[in-house]
Amino acid sequence: MSRPDRTGTICSPSTVATSQPRPDEPMRPDRPAMAPVAPAARLRGLRKMYRRTVALDSVDLDVPTGAVLGLLGRNGSGKTTMLRLLLGLSRPTEGTVELLGEPMPVGAARALPHVGALVEGPGFLPFLSGRDNLARFAAAEPLVRTSAIVETVNYALHRVGLDGEAAIDRPYRGHSLGLKQRLGLAAVLLAPRRLVVLDEPTNGLDPAGIRDVRRLIGELRAAGSTVLLSSHLLSEVEETCTHVAMLSAGTVVATGTLTELLEADGPALEIHTTEPHAALAALRTSRIPGYAERGLVIADLVDTPPELVLSILASADVPVSEARPRRTGLEELFVRLTEEGT
Amino acid sequence: MSPVRASRRTSRPAPAGDRYAAPLVRLLRVELRTEPRRPRTLATLVVLALVPVVIGFGVSVHAADPGADRPGLGLIRAVAGNGMMLPITALGVTLGLLLPLCVCIAAADALSGEAAHGTLRGLLLAPVSRIRLVWIKAFGVLVVAVLEVAAVTAAGLLAGLIIVGGGDQLLTLSGSSVGFGAALARVALAAGWTVLQVAAVGAVALAVSAFTDHPMVVLATVLGGTIVFGLLGAIPALDWLRPVLLTSGWASLSDVLRDPVPGDGLTHSALLAGVYLVIGMTGAIVGTLRREA
Repeated sequence: MSRPDRTGTICSPSTVATSQPRPDEPMRPDRPAMAPVAPAARLRGLRKMYRRTVALDSVDLDVPTGAVLGLLGRNGSGKTTMLRLLLGLSRPTEGTVELLGEPMPVGAARALPHVGALVEGPGFLPFLSGRDNLARFAAAEPLVRTSAIVETVNYALHRVGLDGEAAIDRPYRGHSLGLKQRLGLAAVLLAPRRLVVLDEPTNGLDPAGIRDVRRLIGELRAAGSTVLLSSHLLSEVEETCTHVAMLSAGTVVATGTLTELLEADGPALEIHTTEPHAALAALRTSRIPGYAERGLVIADLVDTPPELVLSILASADVPVSEARPRRTGLEELFVRLTEEGT
Repeated sequence: MSPVRASRRTSRPAPAGDRYAAPLVRLLRVELRTEPRRPRTLATLVVLALVPVVIGFGVSVHAADPGADRPGLGLIRAVAGNGMMLPITALGVTLGLLLPLCVCIAAADALSGEAAHGTLRGLLLAPVSRIRLVWIKAFGVLVVAVLEVAAVTAAGLLAGLIIVGGGDQLLTLSGSSVGFGAALARVALAAGWTVLQVAAVGAVALAVSAFTDHPMVVLATVLGGTIVFGLLGAIPALDWLRPVLLTSGWASLSDVLRDPVPGDGLTHSALLAGVYLVIGMTGAIVGTLRREA
C-alpha cells in the first residue's frame, strides 16, 4: 500500500553510512520520527589494531536515542571489539567514541552509571553465590543507594525471572549456563539505564529464556532506554530491533532502520501477471531491466519510477493483477553482505 | 537474613541522585567481605597456621631427645623451652617463601584473576574508576596479608604457650630474659614489621597482576623474583647489591630477639619495604590504566 521508502543506505565498505535521520526522510507510522536529540552513542573514524591485526577499521556509527539497534555480523567481524571501545574498556587506535554525549574513555565516570552492559558473557566470582555476586556489583553502582542494595538485587532478579530460584543462593560455579546468562542480564538491570548494551544476550538460553530476553528488550524500550544488541542470529535482530548495523571484517557495511534494510536489495517491483513474456518484452522495449522469477516479473526500479513501469505495462495491454515493492529477507541481505561481498 | 530479602520486589527502589561513583567505604566493605571468603585465602590461612604448630611439636620432640643435637637449626633450636620465641621464629620461617607465596596468590586473584573471571570488566562498567579500583584491590591484598601474618602469629603464640611452654618470659638471643608483657610487645613489633614486608611483596605482585590476565604469571614472576633475590644476596661479590634487595633485609627479623633490639637493620628493611610498596603501587596503577579490560 504505502509507497516504499527508497532511502536504503547500502554502501560499499569504502563508503560508510550512518543511520542519522535525514531531513528528506518521510514520517512513517512504524518508525517514530526522531527528534533532533543527540545520539546515545556516536562512533567516528574508529580503528582498532591488535598488534598487526586490524580488528575494526573506519567505523562510523550513530545509535539513535530510543532505538533498538541490532549489530549484526559473523563471529570475528568486530562486534565485541566495537562494544568494548564504546564502553571505554579498550582504547581506539584511531577515531573517537561518544557515549551519552561524553567522550570515551575519559568521560566514563559520567556516562557509565547510566549504561548497563553485558559484554563477552556474564562475569561473576565462582565462589560467591549468584545473589552475593549481584550485591557486589550493586554496591559498585553509583546510582544504587547503600540502604537499597538488597532491594535492588531482588528487583533485578525479579525482572529476569529468578525471584523464586533457589539456586542463586548457591555458589555461582555450579550455576547452569542459562542461569549464569540470566544473572548477567540482572546485573545490567541494577540501575535505571539510558543505554543498555547486550552482547549476544540469548547465548545459552532455552526458548523460554530467549522469549524473556525479547520481553526485556521491549520493556527497556518502552521505558525509554536505548538498546544496542549484538547478534549473529538474524531472526533475533529481525524480531526485536528498530535499527540495524551490519559489520563485516571490521567495517560497517550497512546501517539503517530495519525497514530500510529489509527493502535495501535495490528497488524493484514484483509484478503478478498471467503473461510474463509480454510483460518482459514491454519492459525490454522501454529499456527497463527486468527478469522472471518464480512466475513473477521483477522490474528493476533503479532508474525508473514504479508509476512508469505500470503505465508501460498498461499501454502494452499486459494484465497486471498485483504489483508491489519487493522485500528481501534480512537473511538474504546478511548473506549477500557478509559472504558474497567479501 | 533481613526480612526484605524474602520479599518480592516488583518496582525499582528509588535510585540515588546523579552521582558518578559509589561511596568508597561501601566498596572497601565489600572487598573486606569478599577477599577472605576466597577458598584459596582460607586454605593459605590454614597452612600458615600449621607452620608454628609443626615447629612447636618438632622442637618439643627434639628437646626430649638429648642425643640429637644437630647443628644448623639456629633460631628454631632456640625455641626449645622458650615458647614466646615461637611466633617470631615462625614469622621468620614463613617470610622466607610461604608468606610471599600466599600474598602472591591474593594479588594474582585481585586483578588478573578478576580479569580472568570477567568481573574486572563488570566493576569498570559500574563504573569504578581504574585508579580507585587499584586502591580497593590493594586494600583487599593488604587485608589478606594482615590475616596471614595474624594467622602465623596467633598460632605461634598458642603453640608456644601450650606445646613448647616456658611462656612466662622470653629468653633473648643475647642471653637476657624479658617479661611476658615486653615479649608480647616484641611479637607485635615482629608481626607489624612482617606485615610491611609481605605488603611490599604484595604490591609488587599487584603490579604484575595489573599487566596480565593470567594469575599463574604473577606467581611465577614474583616467587621467581624472590628466589633470585635470595641468590643474589648470597653471592659475596654482589654485596653492594644487598642494601636494595628486599629479601636481604628479612634476616633482620631476628634482631627483635636481641636485647637491646638493634634498630638499624629493622629500620632499613622497613624503609626498603616502603620503597617497594611505592614502586609496586605505581606499577599497579600504570598497568591498570593501560590494560584492555
